[in-house]
Amino acid sequence: MTVLILTSEEDVTADMVVARLHTAGAPVMRLNPADLPGKAVLSADYAHGDFDGHLSVNGHVLSMGGLRSVWVRRPGEPAAHAAHPSPWLTAETRQALFGMLYSAPARWMNHPRDADRARLKPWQLRVAHLSGFAVPPTVFTTSPRLAREFAEEHRDVVVKSASGPPPGEPGVALPTTLIGPDTDFSAVAAGPALLQRYVPKRADIRLTCVGQQLFAARKAADPGQVDGRYGDTGHPWEPVAVPGRIAAAVREYVALASLAYAAFDFAEDEEGVWWFLECNQGGQFGFVELETGQPISAAVAHWLAHCTADRRVPGRR
Amino acid sequence: MRPFTLNYAFPSGLTTMVTPYSFDAARQLNVLPDGRPAVMDRELLLAAGTTTSTAGSQTHFDD
Repeated sequence: MTVLILTSEEDVTADMVVARLHTAGAPVMRLNPADLPGKAVLSADYAHGDFDGHLSVNGHVLSMGGLRSVWVRRPGEPAAHAAHPSPWLTAETRQALFGMLYSAPARWMNHPRDADRARLKPWQLRVAHLSGFAVPPTVFTTSPRLAREFAEEHRDVVVKSASGPPPGEPGVALPTTLIGPDTDFSAVAAGPALLQRYVPKRADIRLTCVGQQLFAARKAADPGQVDGRYGDTGHPWEPVAVPGRIAAAVREYVALASLAYAAFDFAEDEEGVWWFLECNQGGQFGFVELETGQPISAAVAHWLAHCTADRRVPGRR
Repeated sequence: MRPFTLNYAFPSGLTTMVTPYSFDAARQLNVLPDGRPAVMDRELLLAAGTTTSTAGSQTHFDD
């Protein structure tokens, strides 16, 4: 049974898992949807009440009957590398590829339907509450008045983007930024603003969940540091034990969200409390493994190569 | 009026990095000029910064 990895060729984090799968002798196919059509060829047959499908790329062939699992890593847009790309061609190719993959009884890390929902920051906060995490007070509003009242109540507040920085060239960064109650909030009316009470932290925590396995890493923060992803603090990531309460909340969260993989970001405050900031269904783990030695890629490879196929056939009554 | 949150955006200053490895289609991973998998060179991967939490692709923002 083959593992299918949807990602770009330059994704070296995927390489870490591919190498593990090779060592284990597990068949793997690596496909960038951007190469379909083109380098990759697809065919799906729906006849006589039965389904069969095939993918081939770079000399590798995969039948849907032999597909065990799909890892969605860093895939390009379908048909992006076509000779004549267009939004229509992307839509057609997306239909063909994902329509076929969804028809196979494969397990996903993570299923795109669950991934789409998991990316919604307000939904993450709700699930975090239900799971038992400590969550900093947060508001997501288009009302300048409510934004101002929130800032006046909590004094030190950060603004963050829910969807990330605006795409395009030249590149733009949009780190979590500390603001005060004297900020001019009138522009909140021009777009939803996500404001959260600032958690003065003594460390960043990155917890990677792969199936039932948890890997937590800690990086000491500089005084006053807000967004640990930007700027080199000089502190390394180090392994840290997962408190029992956090482990229970993580397991509850991934169950509610139907996620096979999730990367949680916490702020550890001065009293050692881990405050939930976000859960990233596709968060990077390469940097954590390289610095801490934690066997995350091995865990991912093991999950992909050993998960039981999903025998629920869509649409069957 | 510019949306409030964009007031805190700034040019990232990131340039396209030339990485010293290339994709081997048969082995389905990136290799160094000497043919070894790039993942065998930990120092190289750390220096390249392509595994960090801000190393998103152009099409995927889940970092």
